[in-house]
Amino acid sequence: MVDATWGTGEPPREVLRRDVLGAVDEGAFDDRHPPRADQIADCVHCGFCLPSCPTYVLWGAEADSPRGRIYLMNEGVNGEPLSESMVAHFDACLGCMACVPACPSGVKYDRLIEDTRAQVERRFPRGPRDRALRTAIFALFPYPRRLRLLRGPLRAYQNTGLRRLVARSGLLERLGPTLATLESLAPRLRKVAPPPRRVAARGTRRAVVGMLTGCVQGAFFPEVNSATVRVLAAEGCDVVIPPGQGCCGALSVHNGRRDEAARFARRLIDTFENTGMDYFVVNAAGCGSSLKDYGELLADDPAYATRAKHFAAKVRDLSEVLVDLGPVAPRHPLPRTVAYHDACHLAHAQGIRAQPRALLRGIPGLELREIADPELCCGSAGVWNILNPVPAAELGDRKAANVLATGAELLVTANPGCLMQVAAALRRRGGSIALAHTAQVLDASIRDLGRETQRQEQVTPR
Amino acid sequence: MAVLDELTRPAGDDDHVGGVPARLVASPKSTEEAAALIAATPGLAVVVRGGGTKLHWGPPPRELDLIIDTRRLTGMVEHAAGDLITVLRAGTPLRELNLGDQQLAIDSPARATVGGTVATGASGPRRLHYGTARDLLIGITVVRADGKVARSGGKVVKNVAGYDLGKLYTGSYGTLGLITECVFRLHPRPAAARYVRSTAPAQAVSAILAAQVAPTAIEIDSATGELAVLLEGTPAGVRDRSALVEKLLAGEVSEEAPSWWGRDPWTPDQIGMKLSVPLSKVGSLLDSGSAVRGSAGTGVLYAAARDITEVEGLRAHCVRSGGHAVVLTAPAPVREILDMWGPTPGLALMRRVKNQFDPEHRFAPGRFVGGI
Amino acid sequence: MADIDALTQRLRAELGPGQVVTDRQELRTYECDGLAHYQVIPALVALPHTAAQVAAVVKACADAGVPFVARGSGTGLSGGALPHAEGVLIVTAQMRRIVEIAPADERAVVEPGVINLQITKAATPDGYYYAPDPSSQQICSIGGNVAENSGGAHCLKYGFTTNHVTGLRIVTPDGEQVRLGGRALDPPGYDLIGAFVGSEGTLGVATEVTVKLTRLPESVRTLLAAFPSIDQAGAATSAIIAAGVVPAAIEMMDALAIEAAEAAVACGYPPGAAAVLIVELDGPAAEVEAQFVQVTDLCRRAGAFEIRIAADDAERALFWKGRKSAFAAVGRISPDYIVQDGVIPRTALPEVLRRISDLAGEHGVRVANVFHAGDGNLHPLVLFDARVSGEAERAEKVSGAIIDLCIEYGGSITGEHGVGMDKAKYLPRMFGEDDLDTMQLVRCAFDPDHLANPGKVFPTPRLCGERPGGQVAARFPGVEVY
Repeated sequence: MVDATWGTGEPPREVLRRDVLGAVDEGAFDDRHPPRADQIADCVHCGFCLPSCPTYVLWGAEADSPRGRIYLMNEGVNGEPLSESMVAHFDACLGCMACVPACPSGVKYDRLIEDTRAQVERRFPRGPRDRALRTAIFALFPYPRRLRLLRGPLRAYQNTGLRRLVARSGLLERLGPTLATLESLAPRLRKVAPPPRRVAARGTRRAVVGMLTGCVQGAFFPEVNSATVRVLAAEGCDVVIPPGQGCCGALSVHNGRRDEAARFARRLIDTFENTGMDYFVVNAAGCGSSLKDYGELLADDPAYATRAKHFAAKVRDLSEVLVDLGPVAPRHPLPRTVAYHDACHLAHAQGIRAQPRALLRGIPGLELREIADPELCCGSAGVWNILNPVPAAELGDRKAANVLATGAELLVTANPGCLMQVAAALRRRGGSIALAHTAQVLDASIRDLGRETQRQEQVTPR
Repeated sequence: MAVLDELTRPAGDDDHVGGVPARLVASPKSTEEAAALIAATPGLAVVVRGGGTKLHWGPPPRELDLIIDTRRLTGMVEHAAGDLITVLRAGTPLRELNLGDQQLAIDSPARATVGGTVATGASGPRRLHYGTARDLLIGITVVRADGKVARSGGKVVKNVAGYDLGKLYTGSYGTLGLITECVFRLHPRPAAARYVRSTAPAQAVSAILAAQVAPTAIEIDSATGELAVLLEGTPAGVRDRSALVEKLLAGEVSEEAPSWWGRDPWTPDQIGMKLSVPLSKVGSLLDSGSAVRGSAGTGVLYAAARDITEVEGLRAHCVRSGGHAVVLTAPAPVREILDMWGPTPGLALMRRVKNQFDPEHRFAPGRFVGGI
Repeated sequence: MADIDALTQRLRAELGPGQVVTDRQELRTYECDGLAHYQVIPALVALPHTAAQVAAVVKACADAGVPFVARGSGTGLSGGALPHAEGVLIVTAQMRRIVEIAPADERAVVEPGVINLQITKAATPDGYYYAPDPSSQQICSIGGNVAENSGGAHCLKYGFTTNHVTGLRIVTPDGEQVRLGGRALDPPGYDLIGAFVGSEGTLGVATEVTVKLTRLPESVRTLLAAFPSIDQAGAATSAIIAAGVVPAAIEMMDALAIEAAEAAVACGYPPGAAAVLIVELDGPAAEVEAQFVQVTDLCRRAGAFEIRIAADDAERALFWKGRKSAFAAVGRISPDYIVQDGVIPRTALPEVLRRISDLAGEHGVRVANVFHAGDGNLHPLVLFDARVSGEAERAEKVSGAIIDLCIEYGGSITGEHGVGMDKAKYLPRMFGEDDLDTMQLVRCAFDPDHLANPGKVFPTPRLCGERPGGQVAARFPGVEVY
């Protein structure tokens, strides 16, 4: 029996019921990079994007579909004001970009929603709770050092019975769903040393690559970075890892905080200038897609415009660069059944689907299984799951069910957000599966870790 | 009245419907003549007669003045072989069609006409693959109860312009007016055909469907205990597929259909029923003990019932299974006390349709569901 | 004038406030369906979750004398779901439960908001699929398919929605729930299912649909043939039909359509083709193999300069991707376009295409052609740029002329998209007054008060029986009511 029930069908927001009162003198957008009318006009209203959109799949409401959001943008461009309702629909967009490859007319929805979000952040006065939460998120997530500092208290909290006590008492649930989400996502922590500044290639050097250590990745999953470095080195890359890189700005640009993102971008470009790198390798999907867009982000900055373009041209996802270079390090068997989850910013935004699969298939003994409805986002979507915990949980549950249905022993994905989101959902269902980053699987194969259990986090029922 | 005299003749002894005699008979030779006739006879109760093969099906008319006979409304108006369509006048006997290497894939008894087949929605074994008159009809010309002529559909298979009156008239038992012309989609005649005959039980049908052999018909007969499958296609393909089905059913390939194939299972003194159940319930229908015969592949079968108790038993069984049972024909005394049509969901809506099309209830009054 | 506010309050109470939309900006997202250049903002939008809720909405409308329009996924191409400015738009997109997949009965029971392709996905594990496959099947709803009697590329062999619906639950325009048919075939009485399917929302709202499931074919073989001219592609089609082959689908695209599809989905069709044919055969393996050899040979003999045979499902999907995205893909080569849906007898195809090409040239607009070559259903895409003065008018003219062409050749003005509102004015060119009057008798039986999707299909409404003309006349000011 196939369960085709799609979500609760209830749009969650009060604001949808309110009328827009009277005539307004100001249209939704000003002329600092508004969503472009010509890009909006590309949409022929065919609706092919609807079934790929997670919010349409959940709620079945036109205004929470790409087609509907483009329509709202058009209304705004034509003079409708930026109302709470309009903003709510823009906010509800996950930014997963699943609609972009689904669109036969080539509508650049990614551009449209980014421009729109930037306008919303600048021009729409958010409520105090919303503002406080966003301020907190952006004071924390783009700063690896602050995230690392959090690990101590979090670790203590997890290692003691406090967590279980808190969970059982439901205290956290009552303190607000957002805090509950953060808590549920906090992975079991281990102490890992930071990577050296430069790691030499094994054997013939085929490229010099800069590597992004990332924020959440670097702070919570440092072993993924270590594995990434080892794999790159094994495949003949000198890896350059300047410390204090800072954030790539992806979360900021995805949430309309353009100036903030531009600041991060400039710093990152500066950091990696003069490293002589051929490529800039990223092991987090969300980061990679933003980095490739640096040219557009800094197009208005005469001092950085060209440098940003050149930088962006060097950006490669780990799987991309490994397949481009071609494998040289011998692979040892890893007899595992593996389900590979396409992170949205890798599959939809960068079009990278084949390369990770090719790399996994290149491992002897590894059986790759496809997850049903692969194009549907897991619900992480950067910090969307923190801002929209209830629908995020629904999407996470759907993904977890599809993952478990493959019967695979190991779930592999290339984004820390996805990993944490699916882990949380699996835990809620009482499911059990090992989780790993693509880099860790390759690393295990290259280092012949075979039988030895390679688990980042074993998720078991509580 | 002159029109009436010109177009009609007095009825003879054979001109009755279910025992109810008519006063007049008319045989218009064109749609225009039929329209003039119907317009000239307001208030007269009418029943349409084609080949007479199903004239006495259903309850007799509450009243009857005029029988409109379609014997002169006959002939093929057009056969566009390249487009696989044909336009036929309603009085044309189906068995007399000459369509070259194409066919109008409707099973029918000898003498049955196009109009009668459409009006009763009659079908036979090959409906499993080709569909019924309902599915093959792509255009229709009718004369309404007020004498106006109306067309719907057309001469092309793909057509959603306007309402599909053809569907409404199919199976309407002549209660919405006179059908004068029909356009059908055709199929190529198959190069080869074979029957596989067996005594496999009804449960074997799901195996046949699972085997992906695309059968043209799957028929079953409780009296002989036989299950027979018709396969059509290319010679090589038919050979392969019949061999497969032969093995599946432990049966025997034959070029001849069984003698019971496509024949009504009842004798004139019995009650003839049409049963329809969901596919999964066909088996239990055959286990009911009644003489049942028909399409195990579509769940539409025919039964010979001996008495009213058996009718009610079969009907209850069908309705419980999510289907229905209609009494098509019965001896006169039985007919009077029997509910021939059975429960009819949507009846209120159907009455409204009838009232729009035939406000005076002239056409076949009392012959249809709910006394329509 | 009806009291919309009172109606809104009533619907909020019956459905819950979250299921009634009154925010103007949101209402506007529903102002058009797939035919985007006609827009009407509905007075309000209701999103029912159950048949009872649909009935409640319709009853409330009937009580208030307010018209209603039903909408599924809003992908229709004839404006069938174009709202009424003083009416309620009933959106069934949230009624998307597959109630049951019953392979033993070869049936599926679904709610109207279920997406066409979802039925196939749900039935595939049991070896079945849902055959009618409109090109928009990944998003179009079953309810919408029922309203339009949708077809698709495979309807040549498998028929249309009306040949696959065996049961319906509907809400009639007076708010009553009626059950028609079920899983068993040939229900007694009038074929109201047959009347309802294809009635474009003018007879009520479907709240549950029982459809036939078709056994998956043992073998599917697809080829793509490139021809140096449309005539040769047409000749190939005729030859295939004449040979007694009934393919599952024969689709044709001309050079302009190929260009658009290529730009959109990089389907990699053979460059330089004036026309491509996609021919698909399905059925028992033995049959398909024999016929495939025949078809390939016929294409070659008709002059195909390249024939590709899909080696696997992925390649087959790629062949189809170009065809199925063709309409929306045209957006890449032209800012605006009108898509037509005429039908002509298949044998007239080459001649009609020539005449369309002449028309296009005469009026200075481009026409891309995508069509179901097997059954003569054309989809001329009349391209234009609304920003250039006069071009929109010329495009309209060519569209109208194409429709007249179809009627001239004994075809139809619409093969699968429906009459809706954009072809209503052409319906009297195809049918006479008495024909339309008779059809409207059906409408009068279901909807004497003209509340269900008024203004669609028939250009002039018919006065039903003894009803006072006042209400109808008020809804269609200036229109003659007879």
